[in-house]
This record gives sequence, structure tokens and C-alpha cells, in this order.
Amino acid sequence: MGFRDRAALVGVGYTEFSKDSGVSTLTLAVDAILAALDDAGLGVDDVDALATHRVGDSTPPWVVAPALGVPEVSWYLDQFGGGSVSHSVIGQAAMAVASGVAETVVCYRAINARSEFRMGGTGRGPAPIFDVQYQAPYGYFAPPQQFAMFARAHMNEYGTTHEQFGAVAVQQRANAVKNARALKRDPITLDDYLASRWIAEPLRLLDCCLETDGACAVVVTSRERARDLRHTPVLVSGAAWGGGDSFFSGTGTDFTVTEAARIAPRLYAMAGVGPEDVDVAEIYDCFTYSVVVQLEDYGFCGKGEGGPYVESGATALDGSLPVNTHGGFLSEGYVHGINHVAEAVAQLRGTAGDRQVPGAEVALSTAQPGYVLAGTSALILRSDA
Amino acid sequence: MSAGFVVPEVDRDSAPWWEAVRRHELTVQRCGGCGTLRFPARAVCNRCRSRSWEWTPVSGRARVYSWVVNHQVFMRSMAERVPFPVLLVRLDEGDDLLMYGNLVEGDVAELRVGLPVEAVFVDDGDQTLVNWRPRR
Repeated sequence: MGFRDRAALVGVGYTEFSKDSGVSTLTLAVDAILAALDDAGLGVDDVDALATHRVGDSTPPWVVAPALGVPEVSWYLDQFGGGSVSHSVIGQAAMAVASGVAETVVCYRAINARSEFRMGGTGRGPAPIFDVQYQAPYGYFAPPQQFAMFARAHMNEYGTTHEQFGAVAVQQRANAVKNARALKRDPITLDDYLASRWIAEPLRLLDCCLETDGACAVVVTSRERARDLRHTPVLVSGAAWGGGDSFFSGTGTDFTVTEAARIAPRLYAMAGVGPEDVDVAEIYDCFTYSVVVQLEDYGFCGKGEGGPYVESGATALDGSLPVNTHGGFLSEGYVHGINHVAEAVAQLRGTAGDRQVPGAEVALSTAQPGYVLAGTSALILRSDA
Repeated sequence: MSAGFVVPEVDRDSAPWWEAVRRHELTVQRCGGCGTLRFPARAVCNRCRSRSWEWTPVSGRARVYSWVVNHQVFMRSMAERVPFPVLLVRLDEGDDLLMYGNLVEGDVAELRVGLPVEAVFVDDGDQTLVNWRPRR
């Protein structure tokens, strides 16, 4: 159905994650792309397309391509948007490959999210989005505030608890302990979580992802070409993006349901699988709450049951649905979506080392679920072993 | 800036709404095609696509849907205000008519879902904002 299984992820690359890279986002992009091509066993001469997303904070494909020395670009994507579009970049690259418009696409995200452009606003003004005029005058515009507002609504509606948000943070930190790339590798307890300072109640410091300098890249090519390359190919079985509602005079009035609930049926239908078939899930964790609500909206538990589901241990590395096996944005680092895809690739190749989910064949990787901008995106990935 | 807050970046659709707020009038648009109330301001109805509409006053009564208590100083101008609550309220005229604002003449401890509140206009220099106080 659609372009199911026609494109494959064949290489992943990272720069170091840090609080201050000391280099430009162009340098970060080039370094991550070269690492991803090396991982795939490909060179710059094999690249004919580039894709990224950004919010005015990074270097576009039409600057990165000549900086790399790409011989000829046949397709590029310079997607405006934040975390919500992160997975549509890979989905659109797979579509470009499936259609024959491109043969080998490098998707990247390069970001100095701590030393230059902080999403929380420190050092810059609010984003030029039309909603902002109704929010910023009240001191409300930063992502932690936005997610806190809807986390509170979820607590009010379903009785979700601080301890359940804390379980997300504790489980993901335990995974990061097993990940040499992670910025935060000291184990934490629920008491540590509860003792961390408020950012915007009901969210604490340990509910928030790590503002990170770094880049990550993923190479996408055809399934046929992938078979001749170095690693077990990881197929793009499902890709969906969209949604369309917003908080203001939209069609929905229940803000405990995200855009993920809208795209999930399309996503699973394209891949021909259901939530019960997913072996490992990398779920966009800008904040702990976004994990809880997406577990519901992607169908792993009932609506309102995300908190108890996490608290049961189901999402821990040894649980029935390991989530954010690299530590996620909370503990590995925040590269605005693409490091989730890269971790899913490692899990499906079987190369995730101490944090490997045994026998993982199908992975879900998701984007910011639509609380900022009216849409989201997600991928179902499958090992072509 | 004269105001002690981020001055709203008014757009071509919203300018009349902000001007009404400056006069201490709370309004929303009423679609001339299907009668649906909408906020925030834009020129085309998303139900019937009509371009005809009028500004209509609303009661200023609303109910609390959710809230945060902000502690982090995200901007220097916030430094002396923290911690402060921000409310998201639904107007009594419709569940999809949502507005933000700060809490005035009330305590965070009394916030709960459905708490009845009313609009309060707060002037600061040449700017006016809509805030919310519990209805007694």
C-alpha cells in the first residue's frame, strides 16, 4: 500500500552531543552526513538529494549540498517546522525514492539548541506564529509551558500523576546508562525526579528534554540498492503525517487527544501492522507527558491509561514495549526527532549493544504529537533481514 | 517597551480584536454565513468558508480548562514575576472558544477544572490585556 517497503534506511551518523559544539550548524550537518554515508558504505558522489527540517535555526540543503561537494542535486526538502514534522522529512525522502525522483537521500538535523537557538526562548524572542500574540503577553510561549498546560488537563481528566511522569524519566535514564552517546548517564530515582525543581507546574526539570548541540543524519535509498550495502536494511513500511486541528476554533475540543490519534490508523494501515506488532518504540519525548499521551494515541493502551501503563514497567527495557531505548531526548540528547529514527535503525539491525531489544523486527518512531503546530508525523520501520 | 510584558504582534486579522480589548470590550467573530462564533480572528469561516462576519460581544464569563504555574525565567522581563499562573479558559459561549490569560484577584490553590472566571481588562502603558478572576 502506498510506498510501503520501497525505501530503506541504510546509514546513520552522529556528531558528538554537547552543550556547546563550538562549530556552525553547517559543520555539524556535514560531519553527521559524512558519518552516515560512511556507515552505509557510500560516498558523497552517491548522494543526489538532501532533506531537513528547521525553524530558522539551521543550515538548509542548498547550502549543505555544495559544502559537501554533492555532484548534482535532483531533489531537496527544506521543511519548515519543529519536532512535529521531524518524521515527515524521512517519510517524504522515502516517497521521493519510491517515485524515482531521487536515488539516495541524506536526511539530517543540525542544531545548536543550547549554545545558539534555545527553544525555550532564552536569548531570542517568541517565534513568529500567529497564536503567539494571544499567549506571549501572559508570559506563556515556551514549549515546557505548552506541554505543562496539556499535561495538567490530562491529570485533571484521567488522574494521571506526577509519579507516572517520573516513571518515564527514570526508565529512560536507565536506558541512557547503557548508551555511550548519552549526555546524562547517572541513574536517577523517583525521589530524584520528585526533588527536581519546577519549570512550569506540573512539569519539573527532569520532565524536560536536554537542550543539545549536535547533528544526526540518516541515509535513505531504494530497497534494491540497500540489499547491496553494508548493513541489514531497515525498510520504511509505514509513514504518515498530518493531523490538521488546532486549539483555536478547530473541530476538536478535547486537548487530551493529540494529532497522533488522527494519523495512527493511516500509519498502521500503510505498514499492514498494528500496535501489537511493534517490538520497540521511540516516542517523541520533548517532555515526559508527550510519551504518556502518545502511548494512548498510538493504541498501546486505552485512553487515559498511559500513566498506569508506564508505571507498570511495560515501557522499560525489559518490558513488553521498550520505549526510548537510547534514553530519548530526556537523557541521550535532543536532535529534534531524528535521533529517535537512528536509534530505531540500530535496534532493527540488532546492533544496539547492552540496550538491544532481543529479536526486534518492527519499530515505531514518532514526532512531536501536535501541541505546537497542528500536525504530527511517524514511521513504522521493519528489518529486511 | 513601556508595557511590562511582551507586546502582542498584532496581525491584519486580529487588529480590530486588540482595539476592542483596548476599549475594554471582549469580542469574537460571528460568521455571517452559518452563525458560528470563532476566535482567534481570521477572515474566512472554517465551517462554511463564508467571508462575511461581524464582531460580537461576549459575556466575558468563562470556565478554567487548564493552567500552569510558571517558575522558569524564559525571558528577562519575566524575572520579577515568577512564579506566576497562566490560565487556559473556555468561554461560556462555546467549548472551542479558548483564551489564555493570567489569574487576578485569586489564588492558585483555588484553581480547578470548571472554575467560573470572568474577564478583567488590565491596562499597562498603551497596552491592554485580558486576564481572568474567579467569579464570586
